[in-house]
Amino acid sequence: MAGLLRYGAYLPRPRAPLGEIQSFYGRPGRPRARALATPALDEDALTMGFEAAREALGGERAPRAIVSVTQSPPFGLRKMSATLARALDLAEDTVHYDLAGHAGSLLDGIELAGVLAEGDGERPVLVVASDHLVSYEDRVCDMLSAGGAAAFLVGAGDGFCRLGPLERATREVYDVWRLGTEPEPRYRLEVLFDSYAATAREALGALSHVTERDVALYTAVCASQPHPQTLRSLGRAGATEKQLAETSFVSEIGNLGAASVGVAMALGLDRARRGQRLVAFGYGAGEGIAQELEVVAKPPAIGTAGRIPGDPITIGTYYRWTRGRQQVPH
Amino acid sequence: MTVSAIEFSRLGPPKLVLYAMRCRTCKTLHPWWERYTCGVCGSRDLVEEKVEGTGELVNYTVVYYPPRDFLGQEPYVVGHIELDEGVLVPAPVVGIAPDDVEVGSRVRSTLRRMKLGHEGDIYYSQKFVLDDDPPKRRRSPAQAAKKTPAKAAATRRSSPRPRRGSAR
Amino acid sequence: MRVGVLGIGKTPHKIQHDKSLRDLIVDAGRLAMDDAGVEARAVQAYYLGNAGCTGFCFENSVALMGADHLGLVPSPAVRVEAACGTGAWALHLGCVAILSGLYDTVLVMGAEKMNDLATVEGTSIIAQAADSKEEYFSGLTFPSGVALTMRKYMQVYGRSEEDLAHVSVKNHHYGARNPYAHLRFECTVDEVMRSAKVADPLKLYEVCPMTDAASAMVLCREEILRDQPERPQVYVTATSMGSGTWYAASDTLDDAFALLAKPAEKAYAMAGIGPTDVDVAEIYNSFAIQEPLGIESLGFAERGEGWRGALDGSTWIDGEVGVNLSGGLLCKGHPLGATGTSQAVDLVEQLRGTAPEGIQRKDAEIGMSACRGGPGAVAAIHVYQRLEGEA
Repeated sequence: MAGLLRYGAYLPRPRAPLGEIQSFYGRPGRPRARALATPALDEDALTMGFEAAREALGGERAPRAIVSVTQSPPFGLRKMSATLARALDLAEDTVHYDLAGHAGSLLDGIELAGVLAEGDGERPVLVVASDHLVSYEDRVCDMLSAGGAAAFLVGAGDGFCRLGPLERATREVYDVWRLGTEPEPRYRLEVLFDSYAATAREALGALSHVTERDVALYTAVCASQPHPQTLRSLGRAGATEKQLAETSFVSEIGNLGAASVGVAMALGLDRARRGQRLVAFGYGAGEGIAQELEVVAKPPAIGTAGRIPGDPITIGTYYRWTRGRQQVPH
Repeated sequence: MTVSAIEFSRLGPPKLVLYAMRCRTCKTLHPWWERYTCGVCGSRDLVEEKVEGTGELVNYTVVYYPPRDFLGQEPYVVGHIELDEGVLVPAPVVGIAPDDVEVGSRVRSTLRRMKLGHEGDIYYSQKFVLDDDPPKRRRSPAQAAKKTPAKAAATRRSSPRPRRGSAR
Repeated sequence: MRVGVLGIGKTPHKIQHDKSLRDLIVDAGRLAMDDAGVEARAVQAYYLGNAGCTGFCFENSVALMGADHLGLVPSPAVRVEAACGTGAWALHLGCVAILSGLYDTVLVMGAEKMNDLATVEGTSIIAQAADSKEEYFSGLTFPSGVALTMRKYMQVYGRSEEDLAHVSVKNHHYGARNPYAHLRFECTVDEVMRSAKVADPLKLYEVCPMTDAASAMVLCREEILRDQPERPQVYVTATSMGSGTWYAASDTLDDAFALLAKPAEKAYAMAGIGPTDVDVAEIYNSFAIQEPLGIESLGFAERGEGWRGALDGSTWIDGEVGVNLSGGLLCKGHPLGATGTSQAVDLVEQLRGTAPEGIQRKDAEIGMSACRGGPGAVAAIHVYQRLEGEA
């Protein structure tokens, strides 16, 4: 049975004032996040992935493979996993896999990593999810575009946390998507909220059925969170406020894309104790993935919660960074 | 500075990882650009050597008037880092407000975007951040001697300023 | 005058994406110093000819860079620039340094890295060697400036494009036999005539490619080379420079002739020889028409007849004087700063007898190089001699 050996998370330090951005663009209503974790001008999905991966590797230099999950690689037509592997100075024979997909694909990556690790028997597999969401003008107020990274070292044995059953629910939905290589996502928030709710119910329900455990029995629910409204939907799927209390951050720092579920998992694992079970819920484009996590030893905690607060930046700095990026996106 | 996609292909990969150049004749460790002739003994026998990336910030400046490639990042810190292996390398120091930088800090290398090239390609390179790992690093006797409390206090400014965050 | 050529070294002339300018500099410098049998610390001064580094490479003080990476520090180093005559100027300064008595051993080099940028960028950078703000503001480029001269030549002497095409045929014959050349294919008159127009009437096979190259020489006081009789006894016996118009518009055929003819006259006097004594010559020909013009200026042919040697064999390897047996700039390309030194190094090889078979002229003893630069602005004539009896 595959399990987690170590994990890492990286949140950029700058915090953009969403409230000021919103009033700058004359948008009504309360800002949905206190701030946005904004990568600095010299950061991107690659550099943030590097930091999270470094933490998760903990000195391991020769994983069987590295799997990179991102929707915002700095270079197209190339494997970001290959560049990451070189920057991390991994062994020559570590295999590089790039897994695109949607914001929940980190759980796909972890599942595949488990299969690879079990097949190998000895060497672990590193999975890195990082994203730098960029929206321009007032669209950032809806997409809560932020950035971050999370990484997991998956081994053939239990590690500190066994990867339990995994269930999926999927439907053909266009809630957040992008045409080809456009720089910005297209979205329909109402569709997102509805689909998230329905898919969460289905996937968590299916997991419940297989494990014969009610969702409410998990110590924590670690979920993809593109918007605070999506966390509220989890309540309708059976999750309680207590389960989400320690693993919610979208209202603090915004939408981290593919790293979102990973950061939620890091927050949950930091506080977990031996014998507890958590459930990770990854969501994207109409697919929900529910992954049970069985903690069998004290997790090597990394203090993710302490990284949520950051350094405020002015709206002028935010504007200069994002406009600059708009000239030369990613 | 940087030129074109062709130069990008030639220069790109080495800066993903920090390395130094070791003279196999006199054993001196040089910065990564000294790859042809050893400045100490004149030998042509130099090889790349990986380094850990940890070290001490021994000097720094704050740039207020940047070159074109760094426009928008000012003020930024460029430091001299004495790596634990015994070679001095220059690099930007990030993740800390210019006012809060202190000579003597332990730092470690990380991957960051450096600039956009002539044709828009992204150049990555090594920058340094404060080292948050516990200092279980081997240090040269010289470095160990430097780290006496009296010396450490002397490197701090006499009147500590309140942290203003990184508002730029 | 006698300046000893202690050692020579050169890189291939071609597009070399895996080599930076500093790689080329280090390669050529080491080859020359190794050939000379001198350590870096014995070099007392370093003259690096490079005309376009700020444009092509975004680097400026590349001689200082070269001195550091070649291990020449603390000897003085300086970059030399005189448009296309840059390399020859580096050689001239090296000779002056030795002849002044201030230096015993110097390193002279030309190096240019042109291919990191696209052709259209390179063309704009090269144009900076002319009045890019005024005359070239009219859309002129270097090829087009020389094309005007070619048309004048054809009009005044009643020659056709076919007549002049023989120059390219000869150059390509030898370029094909030179492993260090950029272009290594032979061609016929017909192929030259059918090649694409660059700036009418100049055609593709009549213009040189942009190339990456470096070539270097270790020069020394005469006595130092004399005291090593086991080394080939090749000396620079004349170095004569001049200038001319910076404007293509005012560059008449008489000006073009005089540009090289005046310093050539002085060079012959310095070396104590005449045109018929010259065995091999490297004549600047980034554009084919410049070879006939140079042949006439150096006194190898009458005005208007410089083109004929390529047809009747008198400028081929067994002719009266072998002109551009290296393939000339047409085949070697024109690595701006390295062209002048490339001419010198190739001639020294001829005099040593170490040029590749197929381009090595039998018993070559006296060589002459003519390098020009800018629209018509720089002239540099050098004479090289293998001095018998001391070998």
